[in-house]
Amino acid sequence: MKLRLFAAAALAATLALAASTASAEPNGHSRAAASKITVWLQVDAQSGWPELVASANQQFEAKHPGTNVDVQYQTWGDHLSKFDATLAGGNTPDVIEMGNTEMTKYMAAGAFANLSSQKGSFPNAKNWLKGLAASGIFNGKTYGVPYYAGSRVVTYRSDLFRKAHAKTPTSLAAFTATAKQLGKQNTKKGFSPVYIAGTDWYFAMSFVYDYGGQIAVLKNGKWVGRLETKKARAGLAAYKRFFNAASRASKTGVENRPQPYDVYAKGQAASIIGPAWFSCCVGKKFTKATKQFVMPSHVKGRGMPGFLGGSDLAVPAGSNDKSLAADWIRIFTSTASEKGLQAKGNIPNATNLLGNSVNERAAQRSWFVPTAKNWVNVENGNVLRTMLARILTGKASIAAATAFADSNIELTLNQ
Amino acid sequence: MTSSDIPHGTALAAEATPRPRRRRPFTVARVVRGAAPYLLILPVVVTIVAILGYPLYHLARLSFQKYGLFELIAHHGTSVGWANYSSVLHDSVFWDVLVRTIVFTVANVALAMGIGTLIALLLTKVSSFVRVLLTAGLVLAWAMPPVVAVQVWVWMTNRENGILNYTLTKLHVGDYSQHDWLETPFSQLSLTTSLLVWGAIPFIVVTVYAGLSQVSHELVEAAEIDGARPRRVFWDVTVPILKPIFLILTSLSIIWDFGVFTQPFLLIDQTRINASNELMGIYLYEEGYVKTDFGRGAAISILMLLIVAVLSVVYVRKMVRTGEEAS
Repeated sequence: MKLRLFAAAALAATLALAASTASAEPNGHSRAAASKITVWLQVDAQSGWPELVASANQQFEAKHPGTNVDVQYQTWGDHLSKFDATLAGGNTPDVIEMGNTEMTKYMAAGAFANLSSQKGSFPNAKNWLKGLAASGIFNGKTYGVPYYAGSRVVTYRSDLFRKAHAKTPTSLAAFTATAKQLGKQNTKKGFSPVYIAGTDWYFAMSFVYDYGGQIAVLKNGKWVGRLETKKARAGLAAYKRFFNAASRASKTGVENRPQPYDVYAKGQAASIIGPAWFSCCVGKKFTKATKQFVMPSHVKGRGMPGFLGGSDLAVPAGSNDKSLAADWIRIFTSTASEKGLQAKGNIPNATNLLGNSVNERAAQRSWFVPTAKNWVNVENGNVLRTMLARILTGKASIAAATAFADSNIELTLNQ
Repeated sequence: MTSSDIPHGTALAAEATPRPRRRRPFTVARVVRGAAPYLLILPVVVTIVAILGYPLYHLARLSFQKYGLFELIAHHGTSVGWANYSSVLHDSVFWDVLVRTIVFTVANVALAMGIGTLIALLLTKVSSFVRVLLTAGLVLAWAMPPVVAVQVWVWMTNRENGILNYTLTKLHVGDYSQHDWLETPFSQLSLTTSLLVWGAIPFIVVTVYAGLSQVSHELVEAAEIDGARPRRVFWDVTVPILKPIFLILTSLSIIWDFGVFTQPFLLIDQTRINASNELMGIYLYEEGYVKTDFGRGAAISILMLLIVAVLSVVYVRKMVRTGEEAS
């Protein structure tokens, strides 16, 4: 008898397995008028500029008495899955921060409210950074308000560079030579003259664009992968050469595990590549000696095009008070607020606010991912990371790895 | 399955001979008596249908629909017949993942069952103090939430500062400084296996040990008097008696390992997951959730359910038969 129970338990477990793979159940229902708006921001705001968020909330609540702002912080890794769940459940936030590479897929699916008619009412709308504003536009309609941008720079230890008699490099060749010199002087095992995680595709693609290549282009309504072209391959070959000369990091590693600034703070790197705000966390010991420069191009005197990362703020179509939501965005992207973001090492959302920081200079030459609605699937499918890992470890030739990546990209983008 | 069953052996044999059946008169009392067991299990059946049947029905319905982000926002899918199934079954990645997952499951179950049984046998031989100590350790390992365990594994196997690389290098096993345990798919999955087996062992040990305490001393002694060596005693006395326990543990382990998600997903990390290291649970997540194609995801999970059902049907049938023999 006991064994029948066991058998029943096993069957129940089998069924439970199936049930645990949850289905997306449509459950649309309207909500009562808001006495509260829900805002989803990334944790960057929580750790980097919570006072700007608090100040915006205060202003908003003073302007709309009785309405509270509930700010919920999200992480980049899972905020889209969570957003999808709210789309299914009909309880979307009223404002959501989206990465600029994530916008297109959601705009194409109709996830956001069209803000075109009130575009002029947003602060500095006339001078929004072109590249960033473009990520919030689909079919000529505006769905996203630029929040802030960030470029990638080289953060380095001036003490070690001085010891190597190295000046701020003005070309890739000069930087490579400096890296080799630094490698000779710092023989500690695992020490990287320039710490680069092998599959840091944001950095690797900068080489592709620097050599005149591209990731993919739209031709006659179809996306075509361009990584196997001669120029793109030249860029990837240059990346491999630079990586081998400068980095002792894992060839299959990713750029946030470990965080480059942690490696740097442990004294395991003379320089790191990443957002300008990396200077925040380089460790007390090295704070004084830490400086930044723009990653040099293979062409002397120019900067290498960097990935222009950034965030937009959008109002989900399911928000129950879109005008309140838009008003909160208006306050949060005010000139004062953007200046605050700038002071934290970010690039503000409008050209009239731009300064001359290393971050802003790096943004002068930048590249952006293909604006295809399925691009985010290429990102999350790790197509480029897989390609880079295969190239660096020598598992595949550059020609073979790029051809494979191109076919994968085409398959995903043209779906 | 216990020694108390043995004396009933004769009665069991007598019952097995078929008796001629007679139709009894149809009375109200008989109907009530006949319906009573069904009425008693009715609440359970209703609950199971409500909790499992309803989502399963929706899952099945979803698997025949195109249901992407657009449909999610519109709250309405469009029927596409068998298209989701055909696209999955024509995806070479699916077949690669299936083979990989089966090999992975077999390796995990075999290792966990083998090591778990050995530790359970060890428990019967040690002093009660050591037994308490060992059991406490096992229960602590068991109590560790998977996500925390993954984090500990990540720290221990860290390329730059992990204790594993440090220890292996210090012990002169080889130069493991800067060794990347997540470099190749084989290494990634082996690391996952070590974590899963570690996590699965306590349950197996506790259950097998409980079973071992039911093996009657008389039987073991009798075998030993007849000249059987320990190994022989184990295979010919202990294993047959524990067979039902091994069956249930194996089938449960297969079900768990085949659909495992949390540990490999967090250990390998989303940024390293690709067609060369995906297991079935992760493939389902990537195709359904990450690519926002819920219809296709539903089709994969229905297929997965069928595969697990086929894999475990052998065990379930055997168990039911053993159960019928024993009762």
